[in-house]
Amino acid sequence: MVTEEEISNVAKLMKIDLEDHTAHIKRVQKMLEYFDILDNANVESEEITVQETDLDKLRDDKHNPYDKNLLKFLKSYQGKYVKAPKLN
Amino acid sequence: MDLGISALNYVSSIKNGEFTVEEFTSKSLERISQVDEKLHAFLRVNDLAIKNAREIDTKIKSNQNVGKCYGMPISVKDNMCIEGSKTTCASKVLENFIAPYTSTVISKLNSEDAIIIGKTNMDEFAMGLSTEYSAYGPSRNPWNIDYVPGGSSGGSGVSVSANECIASLGSDTGGSIRNPASFCSVVGLKPTYGLVSRYGLVSYANSIEQIGPMTKTVEDSAFLLNIISGIDSNDNTTVDNKNQDYLNNIDAGISGKKIGIVTEMTNSEGLSTDVLNATNDAVKTFEKLGANCEQVSLQMIPYTVAAYYTITSTEAGSNLARYDNIRYGYEFDSSGFEFNSYISQARSKLGPEVIRRMILGGFVPSAGHAGKYFLKALKVKSKLIAEINHVFEKFDFLISPTVPIQPFKFGEKIQDPVSFMMIDFNTVTANLTGIPAISVPYKITNGLPIGIQIMANRLEEHSLLQTAYALEKTVDLPEVPV
Repeated sequence: MVTEEEISNVAKLMKIDLEDHTAHIKRVQKMLEYFDILDNANVESEEITVQETDLDKLRDDKHNPYDKNLLKFLKSYQGKYVKAPKLN
Repeated sequence: MDLGISALNYVSSIKNGEFTVEEFTSKSLERISQVDEKLHAFLRVNDLAIKNAREIDTKIKSNQNVGKCYGMPISVKDNMCIEGSKTTCASKVLENFIAPYTSTVISKLNSEDAIIIGKTNMDEFAMGLSTEYSAYGPSRNPWNIDYVPGGSSGGSGVSVSANECIASLGSDTGGSIRNPASFCSVVGLKPTYGLVSRYGLVSYANSIEQIGPMTKTVEDSAFLLNIISGIDSNDNTTVDNKNQDYLNNIDAGISGKKIGIVTEMTNSEGLSTDVLNATNDAVKTFEKLGANCEQVSLQMIPYTVAAYYTITSTEAGSNLARYDNIRYGYEFDSSGFEFNSYISQARSKLGPEVIRRMILGGFVPSAGHAGKYFLKALKVKSKLIAEINHVFEKFDFLISPTVPIQPFKFGEKIQDPVSFMMIDFNTVTANLTGIPAISVPYKITNGLPIGIQIMANRLEEHSLLQTAYALEKTVDLPEVPV
């Protein structure tokens, strides 16, 4: 069974603060436990199919600027740059 | 004036001058203000609706070209963007998000002179099946307000069912159109993956979600599909449907068609007796209409719910990473914060189910776990697609109950995550395989609706709608009591 610690670790990597969220972890654990059913599907030898798109079907690689519409709702920016907190 | 009329009848009434667009729109707004305090289908109502209605009336009076919708009020799930207005996905994170551009489906509706009457409630980021996960409080089922309306497009289902508008657009990742359609007794169609553009739909699980119509009649779904379907250069997963007319010959009947009754969906553990009886009844109806029905089994179905949640959580984990308080959800200044704590502060505004899906989405594809979860889920999906392809060599359609149970009371199911997931049991197959599926209102038992699901092969919407129409014509349901 997946441990609560393993789940907490992933939550931390997803930048989700879980100090007061033990109930979440338990629920995630239950869902993961249910996913064990996949082990019975007997699909090991199955190929994974992926969707393919021909390059000529893609739209032109053109830049559509939305900066004006987006920037006006930002609290923290300078010129065309978004201000973010510093990385430690 | 009957606010419960179908889209097609609305159009002919407007053309015949029985009422004006403004009259109908203002009656609809009046209806919303009367019932929506109780039902909470809408998160926001369009302040410009009456102005838009007058403009369309002017066009009609002066014999200008008028779009096919003739000003019919249509509601839209609050995860589709309209430039300059709020799109919240029923989340606190996007409480103040103003969309910078308009989604393709809304542009298409606007160019056909629809009136977007308002944005409807949903489970936060479309993760849920009852609207109980909306950050703004749930919607209520118009058939009995103590019961959930289904979800995640619950507000859309309620708005159509309670005659607050003519039709609605929802989105369906694992049943989010069909489930509330079934619970609210309206028609809900999840189109083939790629038939309708997702440009401007806030992403949850891109590889399987689709926008589709929720309407009062099957014909109305065909009418709306004619408008919203087709290729879009802004969504490279869209396919060219050659402007197919889905309304054409909709009454062709289903004589001689072969229908498979999906065994796993009609004998599952959680299936209610009332729902099973209604389904058996629908099978008999199809046989009377000249179709041949027989049982068909798909081995992968017992694994679909686990595969579905694994795949969608993975995609959601990646899609929701953008709600970092830097580009979205701007709440507080960046100074005085360290990067990680700044982002996790912002994420604390996400609701409980979204948080859990993000954690799941980080876990199941991670190194050391992907082989057990994510890759296996993709293999189940591949094998299911192969099975579906094989089944449609022999059958024209598959049927099942849309949802294994009828609407349930608020708080009744939400506590147990596994039995909650199982409510999606009959709907996720169409999403994992990309095939179209429709829920048709079939019965009212104990005062609550039951819908029947019909599935067809990819891009077979035309014949799917003919079949749904044939079934619909055999039922006569009571008026919604609200």
